[in-house]
Amino acid sequence: MLRASAAAEEAGVPSVSLTCEGFIGQAATTATGLGLPSLPVAVVPGHVDVQTVEELRANVLAVTVEGVVQGLTAPPEKASDIEEPEPGEVVFEGTYDEINRFYYENGWSDGLPIVPPTAARVQEFLKHAGREADEELGVLLPDKRSATIRTVAINGVMAGCRPEYMPVLVALIEAMADPRYGVEHSGNTPGAETLIIVNGPVIRRLGFNYQQGALRDGFQANTAIGRFWRLYLRNVAGFLPHKTDKGTFGNTWRVVLAENEDALRQMGWTTIAQDAGAAPGESAVTISRFTGGSVLASVFGNAPEQMIPYLADGLTRLVAWEVIFTVGMSVGAQRPLLVLSPILAQTLARGGLSKQDVQRRLFEQARIPASKFERYIGEWTNLAPGRPSLKDLVRRGRAAPIFAQSDDPERLVPVVEKAEDIMIAVSGDPLRTNAYVFAHNGILGFPVTKPIRLPAR
Amino acid sequence: MLERVLWPRGRRTVTARPVAARLDTLQGKTVGQLWDDLFRGDEIFPMLESALAARFPGVKFVGYRTFGSTHGAEEQQVLRDLPARMRELGVDAVISGMAC
Repeated sequence: MLRASAAAEEAGVPSVSLTCEGFIGQAATTATGLGLPSLPVAVVPGHVDVQTVEELRANVLAVTVEGVVQGLTAPPEKASDIEEPEPGEVVFEGTYDEINRFYYENGWSDGLPIVPPTAARVQEFLKHAGREADEELGVLLPDKRSATIRTVAINGVMAGCRPEYMPVLVALIEAMADPRYGVEHSGNTPGAETLIIVNGPVIRRLGFNYQQGALRDGFQANTAIGRFWRLYLRNVAGFLPHKTDKGTFGNTWRVVLAENEDALRQMGWTTIAQDAGAAPGESAVTISRFTGGSVLASVFGNAPEQMIPYLADGLTRLVAWEVIFTVGMSVGAQRPLLVLSPILAQTLARGGLSKQDVQRRLFEQARIPASKFERYIGEWTNLAPGRPSLKDLVRRGRAAPIFAQSDDPERLVPVVEKAEDIMIAVSGDPLRTNAYVFAHNGILGFPVTKPIRLPAR
Repeated sequence: MLERVLWPRGRRTVTARPVAARLDTLQGKTVGQLWDDLFRGDEIFPMLESALAARFPGVKFVGYRTFGSTHGAEEQQVLRDLPARMRELGVDAVISGMAC
């Protein structure tokens, strides 16, 4: 919303941004990141979603109208820059404890101890990048800071990574900078968190855990690279809680998920990276933001027809309000992830199913009544304003035709637009019959896959 | 042991710039509405229109549907098109919502 105001200002047209009371701080830091620190806002008291029409009108008339008038007519404050160090400049000298205190007090660490990023440690990381330290990988919102190989190395050191992880870290920031991912949305209020999935020979080479406890901390590559992701969001993109990161609850970073490629090969199933176009044998990272997840414990059955209904039910339970990314806000952008333990995937494969067959069966069975779908987007939430029916949305081109195949409000509709939107990974305890479902945050963290380029020896 | 440590942030690619010149009044001006399709903008914009029209005779509004949603799948295209659309429509100022 402030990005729209900034676009108007850049074109020479004054703007004012309507901002709920709880978002004034985010507006100020976002405006600074956009290079327009004087961007005016007009405050709407409280939060609009819990106000009656009369309360909303009273608040708008008492407060917001004057804010709009002032924002469009009053002379703005003078804009000024805050002086900052150069990237990679020495900013402090001290003991381990003093350094940790200094970084924490400046908002550069997550509260856990960091490995002090000295020039020598950073240089070790740069040796493993095989690229120039000042090479720019992109410019990241909301701070519009330059993402470079050097800042990747510094934050990698801080997170507790090993130098040989550098190619993975670089690929991750290339993915973060890809416009399809939408890093600018990383501070939105549902507080979705990115899951990193790693594929290819790099899994064994760097010692990623892909077996029991696949999403548990305790394995350096999985844990430290997950931490690196959020440190980079903090220090370079500029997402800080109480400022630009408005996750209502949020959660800490997710441990990196590595797929069990031995099991996948044995079954003839494709990996997540291959599904996104990576060549067999190519190492790659895939990033995607998920709003939350839950385990589907003790899947029972020795054939697909016994197992699929429970897995499909899990999808419909997890993908709830998130169907606003299936229709409405963005069409066909809901990409839930089902993680199958190897024994579950192998049982499905033994029943004659490819991964694509499983996707099709889940698509056919993970369905909810149209009336419930409409409640998620236009009654229990106001994410589709005006309470449009699915038929309305199809008519407006904001939903695929499959959502309006009859007038029956109890007809069953899918929670994603098409079968291949359901991502399936294989990992976790090879001999336990559990699965995990993640609901997805749509275009506000769309899946992006990037190859991991190892430097020439 | 003392260690010398490096700044972990990236260089800002933008410098602080002033916002556009403000209007002397809204009277007789054309105000564009930009909406991200969220948080009751469809109710709030009409409230603002009535209040502003009563206070500033001759003020005109260009509705948010004219521009498209500033959030979601359309955002990037809508923002790319915005300067030209504002020129075509003679927009003097914009109200953009909703940050909630």
